Amino acid sequence: MVATVHNDLIVYKGSNFFRQRLLLATLSGRTIKIEEIRSTHDDPGLREYEVSLIRLLDKVTNGTRVELSETGTSVYYQPGILVGGQVTHSCSTQRGIGYYLEVLLALGPFCKEPLNAVLQGVTHSDLDVSVDKIKTSALPVLLKFILVDDGLELKVVRRGAPPLGGGEVVFKCPVRRSLRPLQWTQWGLVKRIRGIVYALRVSPTMANRVVDAAKGVMLNFIPDVYINTDQCRGSNAGKSPGFGISLVAETNEKTFYCAEAKSTDVGTGDITLPEDQGRECAQRLLDEIYRGGAVDSSFQWLCALWMALGQKDVSECIIGPLSDYTITFLQHLKEFFGVMFKLEVQQSGSAGEESDDEEVTPASKVKMTCVGIGYVNISKRTL
Amino acid sequence: MADETVFDKKKSHRAKQAGRKAEKKKNKTKLDQSNLSARQRNPKAFAIQSAVRAERQFRRREDVISKKQHIPQVDKTPLEPPPIVVAIVGPPRVGKTTLINNLIKSFIKTNVTNTNGPITIVTSKKRRITLIECNNDVNSMIDIAKCADLVLLLCDASFGFEMEIFEFLNICQVHGMPKIMGVLTHLDMIKNAKTLKTTKKTLKHRFWTEVYSGAKLFYLSGIIHGEYLRNEIKNLSRFISVMKFRPLSWRMTHAYVLADRLEDITSQELIRKDAKVNRDVVLYGYVRGVPLMKDSSVHIAGVGDMKISELSYLPDPCPLPSKEKKRHLMERERQIYAPFAGVGGIVYDKDAVYIELQGSHSHKKEDEETNEKKALLKNVVETKETVDEQMQESGFKLFSGGAVIYPDMIKDDEYLQQNKNAESDASDSEDEGNDSDSDNDSGIDQSEKEEKKNKLPWDNNSEGGSEGEDNDDDGEMSVDGDDKQKRGVSDDEDDSDSDEEPQNEEDFGMKWKEKLGEKATEAYLDRQKTSKNIMKLVYGEFEIGNKSKNKKDEDTEEEDEELGGLFKKVTDTQKKKHKEKERLDLDECSFFYALDKPNLRDWTTETNKQFLINNFVTGKRSADEDASELLKLDDASDGDDEELYGDFEDLETGEKHKAEEKTETTQETGTKRKAELTKSEILDKKMKLKAKFDSEYDNPDDHRIKGDHSYYENLKAEALKQSELNKSVFENLDQGLRIEVEGFRPGLYVRMLFKHMPSEFVTNFDSSYPILIGALNMAEQNIGFVSCKVKKHRWYKKILKTNDPLIISLGWRRFQTLPIYSKIEDDMKCRYLKYTPEHVTCNMHFYGPITPQNTGFLALQSVNNNTNEIKQVGFRIAATGSVNEINKSTQIVKKLKLVGTPLKIYKKTAFIKDMFTTTLEVAKFEGARIKTVSGIRGQIKKALNKPEGAFRATFEDKILMSDIIFCRTWFKVDVTKFYAPVVNLLLPAGAKNAWQGMKTKGQLKREQNIKNDANTDSMYTEVNRAPKVFKPLVIPKNLQKGLPYRFKPKEKSTTLSGINPKDKFKNRIAVIKSPAEQKVSNVMKMLKTNYEKKKEVQKEATAQRLQKHKKQLEEEEWRKLKRQKELKKKICRHLSKVGNKKKPQL
Repeated sequence: MVATVHNDLIVYKGSNFFRQRLLLATLSGRTIKIEEIRSTHDDPGLREYEVSLIRLLDKVTNGTRVELSETGTSVYYQPGILVGGQVTHSCSTQRGIGYYLEVLLALGPFCKEPLNAVLQGVTHSDLDVSVDKIKTSALPVLLKFILVDDGLELKVVRRGAPPLGGGEVVFKCPVRRSLRPLQWTQWGLVKRIRGIVYALRVSPTMANRVVDAAKGVMLNFIPDVYINTDQCRGSNAGKSPGFGISLVAETNEKTFYCAEAKSTDVGTGDITLPEDQGRECAQRLLDEIYRGGAVDSSFQWLCALWMALGQKDVSECIIGPLSDYTITFLQHLKEFFGVMFKLEVQQSGSAGEESDDEEVTPASKVKMTCVGIGYVNISKRTL
Repeated sequence: MADETVFDKKKSHRAKQAGRKAEKKKNKTKLDQSNLSARQRNPKAFAIQSAVRAERQFRRREDVISKKQHIPQVDKTPLEPPPIVVAIVGPPRVGKTTLINNLIKSFIKTNVTNTNGPITIVTSKKRRITLIECNNDVNSMIDIAKCADLVLLLCDASFGFEMEIFEFLNICQVHGMPKIMGVLTHLDMIKNAKTLKTTKKTLKHRFWTEVYSGAKLFYLSGIIHGEYLRNEIKNLSRFISVMKFRPLSWRMTHAYVLADRLEDITSQELIRKDAKVNRDVVLYGYVRGVPLMKDSSVHIAGVGDMKISELSYLPDPCPLPSKEKKRHLMERERQIYAPFAGVGGIVYDKDAVYIELQGSHSHKKEDEETNEKKALLKNVVETKETVDEQMQESGFKLFSGGAVIYPDMIKDDEYLQQNKNAESDASDSEDEGNDSDSDNDSGIDQSEKEEKKNKLPWDNNSEGGSEGEDNDDDGEMSVDGDDKQKRGVSDDEDDSDSDEEPQNEEDFGMKWKEKLGEKATEAYLDRQKTSKNIMKLVYGEFEIGNKSKNKKDEDTEEEDEELGGLFKKVTDTQKKKHKEKERLDLDECSFFYALDKPNLRDWTTETNKQFLINNFVTGKRSADEDASELLKLDDASDGDDEELYGDFEDLETGEKHKAEEKTETTQETGTKRKAELTKSEILDKKMKLKAKFDSEYDNPDDHRIKGDHSYYENLKAEALKQSELNKSVFENLDQGLRIEVEGFRPGLYVRMLFKHMPSEFVTNFDSSYPILIGALNMAEQNIGFVSCKVKKHRWYKKILKTNDPLIISLGWRRFQTLPIYSKIEDDMKCRYLKYTPEHVTCNMHFYGPITPQNTGFLALQSVNNNTNEIKQVGFRIAATGSVNEINKSTQIVKKLKLVGTPLKIYKKTAFIKDMFTTTLEVAKFEGARIKTVSGIRGQIKKALNKPEGAFRATFEDKILMSDIIFCRTWFKVDVTKFYAPVVNLLLPAGAKNAWQGMKTKGQLKREQNIKNDANTDSMYTEVNRAPKVFKPLVIPKNLQKGLPYRFKPKEKSTTLSGINPKDKFKNRIAVIKSPAEQKVSNVMKMLKTNYEKKKEVQKEATAQRLQKHKKQLEEEEWRKLKRQKELKKKICRHLSKVGNKKKPQL
């Protein structure tokens, strides 16, 4: 877990958090080496999706040097300058597009030229956030940092379910010289629920059944629920059958919580009932709302990253309980940038006064405070 | 008449007692106008008289306002700012040292013997200054310009401004202009009062054009007893102490330290063995600019990039006076700190003790003896350390017969580590005499420290650290259970945890079910509960402030206790390691519950619903937001307020109805989220709102029309808010943690340890050179290709040549590199230039450190202080510019014309040779456009196989064999990867200003007296010209005839050969024929004559015959015509006859 530093080279072990490490290395310009990648496994070395990630990073940068060992169990990565521009990448179908898109989202504002990326692959996957979720929940977070939306866009051209994928998204991101410090301590109350249900190469009734079930749960809490169905046809439906739902809760302070559920992959043998799926997704959304905070729990790390990369000013943000991923990310942020967050648990509400009905304890919130490292986009050209 | 005028007294005015005017006046006086403004009393006088003038006035006012506006910047000066760096700069022998001495004397009333290095003094209750003298070396001038806040620019008035002053001003302009005050000295050398006046005036105006008009220029009129006049120095010091500073962009993004003390802590033994061994050097100084991060790399100007291996703060050696209210500084608070100059109070720190020797003793060079003493003292001073170490070594027994426990053994236990940390922190704060205890949210809990006593190291399973990673390990679960029970006991100590308790009890029941999902569920429920020491959960054991963590390798510990010979007891370390190993190759996933999906709570059940219901707009709101509550309070307060807010009631009630309905439906379920604000609090809030409203809308004083500056005002307010937040947010934080989070903020006195410094830095140390340590931001330690715009300085005499080495001062660094100049064409192509153009900017690319865009730089060709060289060059700054772009590759191209000649030409096709040498090259250029000199365009088609490199090409027209064919291409020029920092601080003491890097080719040739062979084509040779010969003048015969005699060419006419044709045969020998020959020639003559006669006759006969024949032909023709005429006559007659016949019928 812990990195060892040899003479400005950071050495890690294990394949976990491969993406985080490459991302942070690219942003910080520091050289890293990752060793013992699945060295004890039957199938040692880098997986296809990780190699694909390296390829993608190579496409958006200039001067990157990557050295793989013969067995593929160790990677030496010397990042170059972020270039951006027009990029087309066919992602590995082992992971969703979200895996790659999150990286591009984090790198996007710091490129030389506005990023215009076309990613092909699996748009909805179990392991990764779906493109819908990124679109509805992560882009508003970035918008808080760049303030002006000139060309920040994520378009789902085609959807593709695992295992074959066939989806395509277009991601455009403007370029900034520096990010603004963020103070985001209010997240308000949920004012509306929106959602989208997609059905790829399955009966359209499936979608409607999912909608009914999800709506049934959500209407217990708020009347403003509206769920779209997206029946994809022909090539727009990708190569594999599947269906899924993603629900978004919008608060009056422009926080978007998002939850999603998808059917099991074709070929695994399990069957997903649309009603179950709808209910499960609604439950997950409620869970997310319960956790609260200004940022959706899947994008805590993105928020932390952008806060750390801000100008040398104080940023604060209150988020729900930290996820494991965020915790590791914060550790990595410290290793790469030397930035440490002040984390305080917000004693939500008034614990003392509500001792009479202790049933109602909202999830504890964490207040992240940090001083930005004064990161500026060094790749951008000035005239 | 006269009498009348005398007696005609003017009647005095009698005010009207009745009538319209009287009434008006009465009304006017009735109103109390004492507290009204002039405008209100007499509105007519302020009315707009002329719309045009009003418009002009308005426009002018707006112009003035908008001229004043700057982009608001977040003010980053800390509460306790670092001393202001006041640099004293000037050419040699203008009185810099005298000025420093006098300033110090005026501020703190002591004399210093030596002014080397930075001298920090306390000047007032809120201000300290660091005085530093700049020596006459362009390297020092550059470094000083980069760190000075205020520059006193000294100038010898009797001499005028020297080149150094202009050079320094230029350096300043490039690296961010500090405040500059000119000081004229040696004014007493000018005896004549009038010349003195004019000199002052001219110098002032020259100075103004360089800095800005109105810049302060001080006059030090003379020296008495080796000192400047006292009141002049007093004035100057007053100016210094009230000076205000504008933030400079480079320094507002980079931390820097101007080192004022240096210690070499390499062990003497190592030095004895090898004098050149790399040293461990400690540098001290105040942090300036922005907070300095712990593990940032730095650049030491004149040495190179370094990594700080240890960074800690020390008590301020020259502190600001205490906060007590008093008018003046006490005498003992007027402190001075200048180790390089040999003064300062007694300072204890980790490495040495520093004792002030008041003036009489000067700082001597450290010899072996003092070093030994220092080492001895060091031991004494390091008592704090040794106590720690002793603690480390001492073990204790818990139970009789139990194993001795050493601190190292329990190091790996997470929980204890936390405790230890807390403890050490507490002790730390005690050491410093700070009573500020860490509060709860800092992550170091007081309560835990107390708990520690009744806990054993192993009965606890790192509650914070491993919650997320709980695995289905039976043994561990039981431990977990135990832990929970224990906590139940200890929890009554901290009440904030109490609400979490029942949940835990429930969990406890579920725990025994061995189901993965359940486990995960529980873990995640736990996580959502308060986890108090969350910073430790995230960052583990981290270094706090000055404490450095003793890293122990866990791998060394390999003793496994055996239980019953068969099972090995799983130690905590192993468990942790195991866990880590498990995590090592997991799939990366950013979801909240990564891979194991827990069973979620069923939110639809009534009990669980209550957790959530208030997170929706339909739920019950907190008291300060709930409209109905607010309204109720409104009713309670007095009626006046209601009137005021009457406008809003409609809106509010609309909302109110809605809110009430909802609260009714969820009466049982919904509960109050927040405590009700007390009435007074709400009243306060309302008063504030009212005040705000008033200030916005009732502005009775000024009725002028104002422009809309709200955008600017908002920006300003935002910046202000941010700066307040920056200052306040960490204010109450424990010092150590604050430094962790924020970095070493400016104003702290820090100690920096650098390992493996070159030994020359210490051995050749010269305190008159500033040691500037500049922090590098992210990615700035890397090297890449920098593209910038540059302009040759107009005072620099030469132009700069591509690939000639150039010394560049950019960011903190000074380095030598090989630049390539280029010009950006309209299609954004960088075209190579061999020399810099004059008077215009061009592009420059070089291989150097990555620096943010828009950073200014300056270029020198040499930093050598060779007087001859300086005299030759005049002005040393060759060019200035700023960074445009950073990249890892460059695209500079040079125009290249490939030339070929036709080999064979068909109609429009031609074979071209000599353009390329191989077929491969041709293949690469297939389809390229080519052109002849005459402008016929064509295209390369395909390579020929016979003459290697020839190809077939087609043209738009037939070309000639004499045509030359061009192919215009671009050739990429690579930037040489050469980057050498200027390491002038490592040079021997006398020669620090003689750094010499790479030399230009020209320099080398000149030095070694190498001369190129001249091109023979360019050499001058004797011209041999043949005399011109003209053609003879030939006059046509016809013209000759018409000419008068005197112009007629006479017999002798000239020819090309210059011989008269008549004389041609003059020199010939006469030929006398033999009789036989004569006979032959006679016969021949006769024959000839005969023949000629015969021919003549023949000719005559032919002529007669021809004449005859001609006549005959004519006659024949005549007859023919006659016949035709007659025939025509006949036909016509016949025709007319026929025509007449037909007519009557018509």
